[in-house]
Amino acid sequence: MNISSKDIILLAHAALGVTGCMAALWVFVEALSARSESARRIQTAALVAAVCMAAAWICGGYWYVQFYPADKVLILKGPWPFAHDVFMETKEHLFFITGILAFLLPFTTREKLYTNPAARTLVLSVAGLIVVTGLAVEGAGAIIDHGVKVALLRAASKGARP
Amino acid sequence: MNTAIRSGSPVLAPATSGFVLSAAITVVFNTALAWVKDAYPPLSDFMGRIGGHHWTTHGVADLLVFAGLGFVFTKTRAAEKIAPNRLTTVLIGAVAIAGLGLALWYVFV
Repeated sequence: MNISSKDIILLAHAALGVTGCMAALWVFVEALSARSESARRIQTAALVAAVCMAAAWICGGYWYVQFYPADKVLILKGPWPFAHDVFMETKEHLFFITGILAFLLPFTTREKLYTNPAARTLVLSVAGLIVVTGLAVEGAGAIIDHGVKVALLRAASKGARP
Repeated sequence: MNTAIRSGSPVLAPATSGFVLSAAITVVFNTALAWVKDAYPPLSDFMGRIGGHHWTTHGVADLLVFAGLGFVFTKTRAAEKIAPNRLTTVLIGAVAIAGLGLALWYVFV
């Protein structure tokens, strides 16, 4: 088995992003029936979402700057160049929106959601937007990964021909 | 009907409303900066020289705008003039426009 630090950083980026989305979903579900007893859980989940997204930002950013250029060359030479031109270009900027929303979430969960319907609507909206944009970013990551795979498969099949 | 939600004053704390408005502006700024970088490569090159990579500088710029405007709006209480539900609508609209704006730009431009 040969797992490089490059692989670990990339997998950590995806895993932290999913964990951040799950924490935001936790906030959303708890906020649906907000009570005074659930306030601490909601604030904890919001903090988990923010910390996970910050860590995903750092891991993903380091991987993107240090290692992605080689993958980009492969993708652009392969059969799925749109995996970079559309999906990576969108993902690398859409992620900033998810990150900003994740940093906003802990501010919003400090409100008394069980007595303030407007604050509850705000928290549901922010948490929901994190889940939607976060899953879109995750999906784009899968397409980028497949762009590399089909490029390598085509190169390998060409090399295997007599 | 959810009996856990009791009626209360629909007011947000100054930091909450301030940072919500800041987030709405930041996500639109993020998309606008992505468009300008893509359309005007010298800006992307300049940002690359500042932070080592244009993406790094872009992220730091977003964080500075979010934190800076958030503190300003909290101090001045400027965002409190906007009704909480309207502020939520503004944020949802900003994220929808910014997200779709990014996707459509890279699909068609």
